[in-house]
Amino acid sequence: MNKWLWLLLTILCLVGGGLLIITMLSDQGSNAATQPTQVNRIVSLAPNLTEILFELGLGEKVVAVSNDSDYPAKAAKKNKLGTFWQPNTEAIIAAKPDLVVTLWFEQQKSVAEAMKRLGYRVLTLKIESIEELLAAIEGIGASTDTQNRAEQLVEDITARLKDLQLKVTPTKKVKVLWVVQAEPLRVAGRDTFLNELIELAGGENAIGPTIQQYPPVGGEQLLSCGAETIIQSAMSTTNIHAQQQSAERFWSRWEALPAVKNGRIHVINPNTTLRLGPRLCEGLELITYCLHPKIYKREQETLQSIR
Amino acid sequence: MGQVLTAKSLVIKVLLCLAALTVIMGLCTLVGTQKVSLKRVLAGPGSSPGENIDYEILICIRLPRVLLAALVGAALACSGVVLQAILRNPLADPYILGISSGAGLGVMTAAISGISWSFLGGSPIGFFAFAGAMVTVWLVWYIGHLTGKSQVTSLLLAGVVVNAFFSAIIMFLTSIAKSEQVVSTIFWLMGNITGKNLSVLFVSAGCILTGIIVLFTISHRLNVLALGQAEAKGLGVDVARTRIIAFAFAALITAISVSLSGLIGFVGLIIPHGVRLAFGPDHRQLLPLSAIIGAAFLIIADTIARIIVAPAQLPVGVITAIAGGPFFLILLARYSRKVSWLK
Amino acid sequence: MKAIIEVKNLSFSYTSQSAVLGTPYGGRLPAQPILKHITFKVIQSRFLAIAGPNGVGKTTLINLLCGQLRAQAGSIIIDTAHIESYSVGRLAQKVAVVRQEFVPIFDFTVAEVVSMGRTPYLGTFGFEGKTDRAVVNEALEATDTAQFALRPLGSLSGGERQRVFIARAIAQNTAILLLDEPTSFLDLKHQVGIYDLLKEMQLEKGKTIVAITHDVNMAAQYADEILLLGADNSYYIGKTKDTFKPEQIEKVFGVRVFTCNIKQESFFLPLGKFAKASTHIKSKLNSKQEK
Repeated sequence: MNKWLWLLLTILCLVGGGLLIITMLSDQGSNAATQPTQVNRIVSLAPNLTEILFELGLGEKVVAVSNDSDYPAKAAKKNKLGTFWQPNTEAIIAAKPDLVVTLWFEQQKSVAEAMKRLGYRVLTLKIESIEELLAAIEGIGASTDTQNRAEQLVEDITARLKDLQLKVTPTKKVKVLWVVQAEPLRVAGRDTFLNELIELAGGENAIGPTIQQYPPVGGEQLLSCGAETIIQSAMSTTNIHAQQQSAERFWSRWEALPAVKNGRIHVINPNTTLRLGPRLCEGLELITYCLHPKIYKREQETLQSIR
Repeated sequence: MGQVLTAKSLVIKVLLCLAALTVIMGLCTLVGTQKVSLKRVLAGPGSSPGENIDYEILICIRLPRVLLAALVGAALACSGVVLQAILRNPLADPYILGISSGAGLGVMTAAISGISWSFLGGSPIGFFAFAGAMVTVWLVWYIGHLTGKSQVTSLLLAGVVVNAFFSAIIMFLTSIAKSEQVVSTIFWLMGNITGKNLSVLFVSAGCILTGIIVLFTISHRLNVLALGQAEAKGLGVDVARTRIIAFAFAALITAISVSLSGLIGFVGLIIPHGVRLAFGPDHRQLLPLSAIIGAAFLIIADTIARIIVAPAQLPVGVITAIAGGPFFLILLARYSRKVSWLK
Repeated sequence: MKAIIEVKNLSFSYTSQSAVLGTPYGGRLPAQPILKHITFKVIQSRFLAIAGPNGVGKTTLINLLCGQLRAQAGSIIIDTAHIESYSVGRLAQKVAVVRQEFVPIFDFTVAEVVSMGRTPYLGTFGFEGKTDRAVVNEALEATDTAQFALRPLGSLSGGERQRVFIARAIAQNTAILLLDEPTSFLDLKHQVGIYDLLKEMQLEKGKTIVAITHDVNMAAQYADEILLLGADNSYYIGKTKDTFKPEQIEKVFGVRVFTCNIKQESFFLPLGKFAKASTHIKSKLNSKQEK
């Protein structure tokens, strides 16, 4: 057994020694990197981040975006960096950014770490709720020296939200079923961001509290939930009209539901509603329109066009 | 092939394969979505980031990635060789004894509970994949020992049971987790070679190389194990001890690979078969050559994954499956023709 | 005369606890002991043949003698030390076993399989040296398998494979060689060849041979001593001519035999109902009686 002990000790020493050397080297590395004060080239790894950047007037400075950054139209023409889930580090470096803006989940975080190690300036934002969205906007404003516009945007959004609240508070809460998947039937539960949107829009989730975030619903539960409006996020953004028709066909079986009886089935474009970005209020207003059409009688035409 | 292996011929073969591997590593480092000029790389790093992007891309992004692919490929191939030998099952792959579901469970648990403790500045998800894999392997070993009658069969059965059970738990956790966490985790499990910080890479390299060397020292006993337990014992091989060492170290290097890059399939299954077909079943040769060829295979697969749908990237597991599937079928056809007397 | 194997009061029965390797029973096991209070000695450099009807415990005895199974009572002493005091490696340097032939799961060549016989003597990394290679070549020559050296084991016939396994045991260079029906698949030429080889190993190399055989005549021709195991836990051990008597054989095997004697050597013809010899002998006996 002795030779094995010696072998183990040797290996441990080698590994330990190597680690020491590496940590020393990387310490030096981080000292050498200097922080650029002017941000002229920005790279965004998510569509909502792109929208925020453009909204803050930084559109010209954005040099590369993720594949699915499609709004505004100018963003879609910028250089592409790979998908949301797998950003292409090489393309990011090739874009020579002064600032890299990423989201917070694993895949993007590891890219952020890699860029940080190379000395690039990275801003990682967690955007999973409306509060976090507002904080993110301010964060981006602070990093890009556009605090004024950021504050303005935050105020705008907050004002619109308040406005909306005023409009919907006096109304009776509408029971909503938000369908995320048709077969098998799965809906958004109470512990989701979609539920937050529903409640802000003056609605109430037709499904009670469940363990699962996106519970599958059976026929029995469906009949007893008494949903007054059914909202379905469109699978693809191309042919929403066709999806609306097929949804209406699908639901025609469930005549017992008030939503079906009154023809209140809506297939909506997820880009404004599910994407936590500056167009949040538009999306929210769209949802409110679906729930309380009477409030929005005047703006009906403009809202229809968003669909 | 045929002549009994000598130390000298093995060393020559290993050196030749290492040379080929170095060439492949070099070539693949030069390939990527961005054009990189070698001259500019040799100029050295700039004083601020963005000055010498060729250097940054080649040395800081691509080279670690190629090294990582080599490590993971070598680890998975060796693990496959060893598990096929001790389980006496040519269909064994490194994940057969619960590692895949264990890693998945570890990762899901971490994602849901929001724990983000990391080891040496690496990602927490990697650490939990490693922990999950090791715990599960220990569990499978323990259950396999409880029955005790026929080691190999009971190990395989325990692995199947644990895999099924943990997969069910993973499905449940998936349904209650926030969607973004889930998708992110599932994507991670699909297998990816991404950059890691140097300390993590170094420690993992040390552990994997140590593991491979230890497995090399028992490879001549693995040869004898192929004759069966009774025969092996009659030839002086401590079967139980060999099995434990083989199992433990194969599990260790597999768990480390999973923690680095998620679950990459097919490497551990087809590389041992391919090398065996070309060079013979002697494990003293099979193990080191599989390590080198596994490394080369994964480097090439990762390079293809990087460039084929640029600027997007495919998960490397997709390439190994697409390459591996038909390759395996061809192997099977040639194999069964070659050994047609094996009914 | 040194006893290289000493068995004292050995009793063994298959239970669920014993490490049962290659048990012929599989499921339910007999509660009755298969071997009961067996005591015998094997002198060094002797040829012992073990014979007896099926299921009487011959293979079990071989498994006990090589350390594969552990007896519930009694002791086995190999070369003046308790069998349990040997480590697996050291025991493999003393005792080599040749069991029934089979095809291993990976296609090793004949040379590789025979080289595995050197495992108990190899260093850490398990590479063979010059002496090892020389021993292996000798073993291949002795068993007439050198022509197959580079062929995969599975491509040989059953008989050829059997010779390869014997070569492997010879390469193991042990003082004791245990064989379980070493010639069951061999043609006549190779049967004789193997027995000649075993005898050569015994006489020239001083090995102790213990072989299970069903061939009573071969045993009689080559073995110095016979261990006859009977169905009711009985056993007889002694020199060949003392043990192989027709009454003994009839009692243990339950078959009538006709003994032919050539000088001092006996040959046994089994007298089956339809065997040609039977009809001739019956008529001879009848004619004798008539006279």
